[in-house]
Parts: sequence; C-alpha cells; structure tokens
Amino acid sequence: MTKKIKQAYQQAPWRRQLRFFGISVLPVIAIGMVIALYLVVSAQSAAAGLQIMQMHYDEEEILRQIANLRTELGYMTSYKEMQQRAKKVGYELPPAEAVHFMPIPGYSGQDAVLIAPPPGADSKGTPLVNEFYQQSLWDWFLNTFLVDSPAVKGDAN
Amino acid sequence: MSKTGLSRLTVIGGLLSAASLLIVFQMARIQGSTKHQELSRWADEQYSYAIENYYPERGNIYDRWGRLLAGNEDVYEVGLMLQYITNPSTIAATLDGVNDLKYKDILENAAKAFDPKESIYAVLTDFLPFGVVDVLSEIKQKYEIENPYGRDPEKPSLRGVVWYPHLKRSYPENSLASNILGFYSFRDRQNGIGYYGVEEYYDDILAGSPMESFMPRNPYMLEGLPEVPAGSSLVLTIDREIQAMVEKKLDEAVKEFEADYGVVIIMDPRNGEVLAMASQPRINLNQYWETEDQFKDKTPYNRAISETYEPGSVYKVLTMSAAMDDGAVDEKTIFNDPGRFEYGGGVVFNWDRQGHGKQDMQGCMQKSLNVCLAWVATELGKDKFYEYMQSFGIGRMTNIDLGGEKIWPFSIPGDSDWYPIQLVTNSFGQGVAVTPIQMATAISAVANDGKMMKPHVLKAIIQDGKQYNTSPQVLGVPIKPETARTMTNMLVKSLVNETSLALVPGYKIAGKTGTAEIPVEGVYGTNQTNASFVGWGPADDPQFLVYVWIARPEKSPWGSMIAAPLFSEITKELVVYLDIPPQTAQDPLMAKEG
Repeated sequence: MTKKIKQAYQQAPWRRQLRFFGISVLPVIAIGMVIALYLVVSAQSAAAGLQIMQMHYDEEEILRQIANLRTELGYMTSYKEMQQRAKKVGYELPPAEAVHFMPIPGYSGQDAVLIAPPPGADSKGTPLVNEFYQQSLWDWFLNTFLVDSPAVKGDAN
Repeated sequence: MSKTGLSRLTVIGGLLSAASLLIVFQMARIQGSTKHQELSRWADEQYSYAIENYYPERGNIYDRWGRLLAGNEDVYEVGLMLQYITNPSTIAATLDGVNDLKYKDILENAAKAFDPKESIYAVLTDFLPFGVVDVLSEIKQKYEIENPYGRDPEKPSLRGVVWYPHLKRSYPENSLASNILGFYSFRDRQNGIGYYGVEEYYDDILAGSPMESFMPRNPYMLEGLPEVPAGSSLVLTIDREIQAMVEKKLDEAVKEFEADYGVVIIMDPRNGEVLAMASQPRINLNQYWETEDQFKDKTPYNRAISETYEPGSVYKVLTMSAAMDDGAVDEKTIFNDPGRFEYGGGVVFNWDRQGHGKQDMQGCMQKSLNVCLAWVATELGKDKFYEYMQSFGIGRMTNIDLGGEKIWPFSIPGDSDWYPIQLVTNSFGQGVAVTPIQMATAISAVANDGKMMKPHVLKAIIQDGKQYNTSPQVLGVPIKPETARTMTNMLVKSLVNETSLALVPGYKIAGKTGTAEIPVEGVYGTNQTNASFVGWGPADDPQFLVYVWIARPEKSPWGSMIAAPLFSEITKELVVYLDIPPQTAQDPLMAKEG
C-alpha cells in the first residue's frame, strides 16, 4: 500500500532529471549573467575612459587653438597693422589744435579694461549636464511623488 | 559503472586536481617571489602608465586697454620615427630648405638604422608654423595614396615624418614696448625663462607650474586627469598708443638732434602708473636672440631703469622743494647772485658763468642758477639736504616691477667718498647719479601734492579666471602739499616767463630743464651733455608727468633746446590720448557740467 502511494505521488523520472538539470544549470546561468553584466559594464567603463582621454587631448588642442587664435587676432590688430588699415581707408591723425572737446553728461572717460570678472563675481554658469540626468530613479521617484507632491507639502489647495 | 571506469575517473580527477594545485602553487610562488615587486613595478612603468610633462600656457600680457602685447602661438616640432621610414631621399628632398634644413643633414638622419634601444626618434626642426605643416601633411597624404604603407621603396613616401604641436611665445607688436616687456627664451623649450622687464619680474606668475603626471594607459585606471592651470595673465598700465607715439617721437628727436640715445617716461603722478616708457635701442622680441648684437658693451636693456646719469638742473626741483618745505627759503627770499659760489674747498659757477644780481627763488629756478641753488642747499644744511634727498628716494631703488633696475650709490655725509663740495654740486644735479625712473618718481611727489607713489607697470593679474586689480602704493611723503603746490606754480610761471619751448598751447604746464656736463675720464667741460626735461600738467590737477633724457646731442647741448621741445611735442598728443581738454575749453565744460 505504502509502495503504491509512493508510486502514485512520485514524480516521473524525466521530471526528476529535468529538475536536477535545472538546478545544476541555474548557478552556471547565474554566473554567466553576472559575467556578461560585468563585461558589459567593463566595456562601457573602458569606452568611457578612452573617451575621457580623447576629450582630454581634444581639450588641450582646443586650448592651444584658442591661444593661437588670440595671438593671430593680436597680430591683426597690432599698432602697425591698425595704422596701415586706418591710412588705407583714409583716416589721419588730427593735429592737437584741431581737437574739440564737448561735455557728454554722465560720461567719465573710457572704462578700465575687464578681461575677466573680478573676484567675488558669481561665476556659476548653467550646469553642463541637465539635472534630470543627474538623479537616480529613486531620486526622481522621491522628488516627483513624495517631496514635491502637494499632499506631502501640504499645499493641496 | 565498472570499477575500472571509476578508477580511470579517479586518476583523471587526481591528475586535474594535481595540475590545479600546481598552478595555484606556482601562482603563490610568483606572488611570494622576492622579484615580484620589482617585476610588478617594471610592468607598471612599461605598460600601465605613461609619464607626461605638462607645460602650462604662459600667461598673456595686455596693455591697459586689453590689447595683446605678448601671447602664444601654435607651432610644430617635426621629427622622424625611424622604424617607419621607407624612403629617406623623399623626406630629404621634401624638407630641404624648410627652416634652413639642409638636404644632406636630413638624409643623414633619415637613413639612420632603427635601433629600438637608441635610435627611435630624431628631431629635425622646431617652431614650424601651421601653414608649413599643413602643406607637409597634404604631400604626405598624397604619397600615402599613391604608395600605401610605403611598400614600394622606389615610389616617394613620407612615412616616418611626424610633427607635434606646442605653443611658442609670440609678441604681436614686435619691438613696441620691448624695453618694458623683456622676453621669454622660448627656443629653450625645457628651461626657458623670462629675461628683463615684465617677463623677468613676473616670470613665476606668467609661467604657472609645469607638471609631470602619470597618465594611465589602461582606461580602467583612469581616475582623474591632471589639471594644469595656465600661467596668470597680466594687464599692464602701459597704453599701447601712447607708447608707440612716444617711441616714434623719441626716435625722431634722437635722429634730428644727432644724439646717442634717449629715454622718455610718462607717469600718472596720482598713482604711479607708468603709461609709457621708451628707451633705445629696442629689439624685435620675436627674434630675441639678436639681443647681444643690439646691446653691445654692456648697454642696458632698459636705460630708463638701468642706466644712471648725472641729471643736471632737473634735480634743482628737489633741492628747492626741500628748502621750501623746511622753511630755509620761501618764494620771496632774495638771493644776490654774484655768479660764483665758494664752498668746501671748491667754486661753482652758473651755466653762463655770469652773475644775475638779485633774484627771488622763482628767478633762480627760471634762470636755472647753480650758484643760487648751491646757496639754497647750504641754507638748508647738509644734514637736512641729504635727509630730504633720501626721502625723495635718491640712492634707493624705486622697486618698479621690471627686471633689471639698477642704482648708483648715493654718497652722504659720513661716507668715505663724500666731500663737502658735493653738497653744492649735488644741489644742481652734478656729482649725483640717478636713473630716469628715480628722477621721475621723486619729482612726481611735487606733482602729486607731496605724495610719492611707487612707480609700477602692473594694473591687474588674471588668475583662475578672475581679474585682481592692483592698488597704488605710497612710497613716502617727502614734502608738504602746500610746498608741492607752491613749487608747481613757480615752475608754471618759470616756463611761461622764459617762453620755453616746452610750453603746450592751452595747457598749464610746470616743468624744468636740465643740462648736465658729462665727465670724460673724470674731466668736465667737454661739451658732451645730458639734456633733460621734466614736466607735468595740467598744473591745477596734474594727470601726467613726462621725463625726457637725450644723451650727448650734437645739435645743441642744452636741455631747453633739445629735451624741452620733445616734451612739448609729446605732451601735445598726450593730452588728446588722455582726454584732457585745454584750459580754455575746461572752464566752459565745467560750467556746463556744473
């Protein structure tokens, strides 16, 4: 009787084999998934690293180009060059006697040059990366549904 | 499963286990090896990191209105990667004549055998402009298409020719203000430094901090990139337009008066800002290596701050200011000028060897009477005279922010080389040696209500994206404001009464000429003179001070004939640049504004 009952509830051998196979393969699949994930993240990280390095070199080149262009502009607007250009278009230096002075209300002469902002000036510009890309899913959820929600703030009216 | 099968499995399992154990053991052995650290370091050095040297961009130099005086330009170093060269003769033929390269030298380098231990890279030339490299790049590409990888040695190929960009110091104004700027020895890329002027004085600030950094080759190890801030930029007090005008007029005057050389300084006496400073000779800063040819026989790079000379009668401004400030004399004090003055075992005469009879102090200054000033100095007394001169900064550096300032020691009573006669000779600017900047600074106290400001050329520093303006510094207050005003008025009247060539129509100018004999082998009276003039204006509210020195003029020895007209020429244009209306225009303007 017992044997019969056991036989009645015992799983078929092919099912047992399948379960055994499943249990055996599961860790392999799990490990494989972890490895795959690791490889994907690593590849992305390496690509990002390479991109950063490339951008670093690009930045160096851009800074060099800026310096070069600034100097080129300096040559183009040098005293001698400007004198020649002024002469070419018909300007000439007036004699001191020909200069007439007239008052301009509120004008106190040429302003001092300001090549960079003075210390203390707010130099914070617009963030380069949109703030939406700087928050995690949890931050977004928290901000959108809990912190910012009218119910939580108590200004539901 | 049979017993034999099990035993086979056991054997295979055992073997695999043993192999695994061996691998683990070997790993442990390598890890524990004494050479492990050495090998690990070697591997790191060879393959993990590259050492990169960062030379920050040298700071720019601007004039007071932001016009670039010194910047940096992109240039290229051209070299040969020996292992890639396939056709040395093409390389030699293409680069022949570029930057004075010779075919033979290029071929010698390009044909060198590649030796990974010694000969890998050879520098051919440096400082090539972008345009040349651009052409080179086009030729290289063309050859590469015709002869990929330079496989056919019979066909032309520029494989192995490489170029690297870097920045080079560049001066867009060439020789303009070269005496103020100095230069940076950019041809020495590793150890370049600033020489003279601003480039020397502010070398550390301009250069920034070069950095050696380990750059990981492995992108995983990239944790951060080195931040190499560029050197700070400087904004000078110099006005490019005024500087150019002054240099031009000085050059013309030196030529016209057949002089050896000259110096002009323009300062704002209210704050010590140097607006222009011209000296001779000057060099094209982009070819700074020609300095030695231009500055022979220890010629100072900037005579305005490095060359001392006997200033002559312009010094009388200091003597008279001191005596009036002390109360030893006043405007109305009368001196009966006999034409000679004996003191300390010596005799001094007037410039014309004549006596001028009764003179008040303004007459003494107007006629520039040595005898009168000698008497004034003795009235003041030697102790007070030298005390005042020291408070005017005579014998001390002005500490102007330019590299290369020099002074001549000032002998005072008590020094072994001081003799009583020096009190009287010093009173009219002989027997004392000063630089033009010392004189301009001292006399600027008279122009600025007695307050002597430190001369400087730096207006602002731009560091980390911020502009820090400098504050003027007071060097001292050698005389009272009333004395300064009295002196200024006296010198205004002097110029008007003598109808000086220094006068500027429409403007109230105070000034004093100076003619100093130059001793040749210790003997005076050889007709060689230093002609000087110092003037400031507008007298009611001085905004500029102009100091002129012309050395050894042939046309005339007198400061009144040589330096005074140059002062006038310069000032006529200066007032326009500085937006200073003439007196006749000022009153209606004030009335309208009021």
